[in-house]
Amino acid sequence: MLKLIEKEKKDDIIKYCLERFGLRQKNLERYHWYEGSKNRIFIGPEKVKRINPESLGLCIFRLDKTPKPTTNFIQLFGEKINKNYIILNKTETVKICKGENLKKKIDVEAGFVALKYKSISLGCAHWNGEIIKNQIPKSKFCNINFL
Amino acid sequence: MYKTQTIKEKIVERYSSLVDNSDQFTNAVKKPLKQTFRINSIKGDKDKILNDMRNYDASIKKIPWCDNAFETDLTNLGSSIQHFSGQIYIQELTSMVPPLIVSNIIKQKTVLDCCAAPGSKTTQMAEIMNNEGHIIANDARHGRIKSLRGNLDRLGITNTTVTLRDFNSFPNTSADVYLVDAPCSSEGTIRKKNAVARKWRQHDYDRFSKLQKNLLKKACEMAPKGSTIIYSTCTLAPEENENVISQILDEEDIDLKKININGLKLDNGVTNWKEEDYNKEVKKCARMWPHHNDTDAFFLARMEKC
Repeated sequence: MLKLIEKEKKDDIIKYCLERFGLRQKNLERYHWYEGSKNRIFIGPEKVKRINPESLGLCIFRLDKTPKPTTNFIQLFGEKINKNYIILNKTETVKICKGENLKKKIDVEAGFVALKYKSISLGCAHWNGEIIKNQIPKSKFCNINFL
Repeated sequence: MYKTQTIKEKIVERYSSLVDNSDQFTNAVKKPLKQTFRINSIKGDKDKILNDMRNYDASIKKIPWCDNAFETDLTNLGSSIQHFSGQIYIQELTSMVPPLIVSNIIKQKTVLDCCAAPGSKTTQMAEIMNNEGHIIANDARHGRIKSLRGNLDRLGITNTTVTLRDFNSFPNTSADVYLVDAPCSSEGTIRKKNAVARKWRQHDYDRFSKLQKNLLKKACEMAPKGSTIIYSTCTLAPEENENVISQILDEEDIDLKKININGLKLDNGVTNWKEEDYNKEVKKCARMWPHHNDTDAFFLARMEKC
């Protein structure tokens, strides 16, 4: 069951988006925000009375100890992300899309990162200073033949 | 159960009296379809996406009657980085037509997509709407909702509410546009894979016709005055097309509107079939024959609630 998100939680996520990814508030303002089960945060249209939705809008975050961005979020707002992203080469992109982790020397802050191939946003990963840990959902894994 | 070739022959025989050129029709039905796709501009600039794709695919050609549609000689675009990232959607050309005919009236509006899964038309409308306004995407089958949800996520669609209901029991909902892309015998998809071969049965026409009429009637009943209702199927059978529209015209307060798309050849609806005469207005419906635009076969009707 989706409910409208509390203002404090929404403000925290918007603050995180700006601090972590440089994503400005104006990009997130036009949506209605909801909280669903398992601490999942959705952005979408206004809820319609009398209709019991199976789902609504797009799941963009999961609130754990810290906010965790989803691959949907990174892919949708990737063009506007200007901090803590990693540009992958062809081989690395193929590995990431297959679901593998990567070992790579990079200069970004530890935490969640956006993965890109050229300007294409691929999804979310976690960087712990040594390994880029793949956070793309299993259901999206794919053998890429054309890039 | 019939073999694919036999079904193709049966379909050609059944409809040869309706087509303008039965040789061309026969040849088109036998020819496999090219893979076609649509660029999803929600995930990036159209020209940039196209340039990226042309680095590995020189065969891409633009479809003249649809801005975002292209065909390719590649058969497995599903393993491209553009598909992975939601920049493209692999979609039959005929399936792109219903959203096209309402493209000038859905921006900032509410659309009720009554049989939405797997979401080709829903995601196309969302893109036309620039992810604004509201689409209610309903489907009656749980298994199909999963593929709908997956496609909405992959294409970054935020303006859609997904519902799982038999549309006949859907709560009355006011919308500007109702899309009834009804389940059908799918004869029109005969050029691709063996989908029809597995399912095709003569007596399905009656079963589908009843189901289609109920769905369309429900949409007409809940539609407010002035709203638009689109009915489409991927079958050639008049039993499931003009017959359904004719009955609805006789029972509901609706006007049928003529359909035009620049560069796309559309044939009129048929007014009689197997000794049955339909309401003469059904001429305004549109038939897409495989040999006219090198596509699947398709049927469309555009109605306005009075």
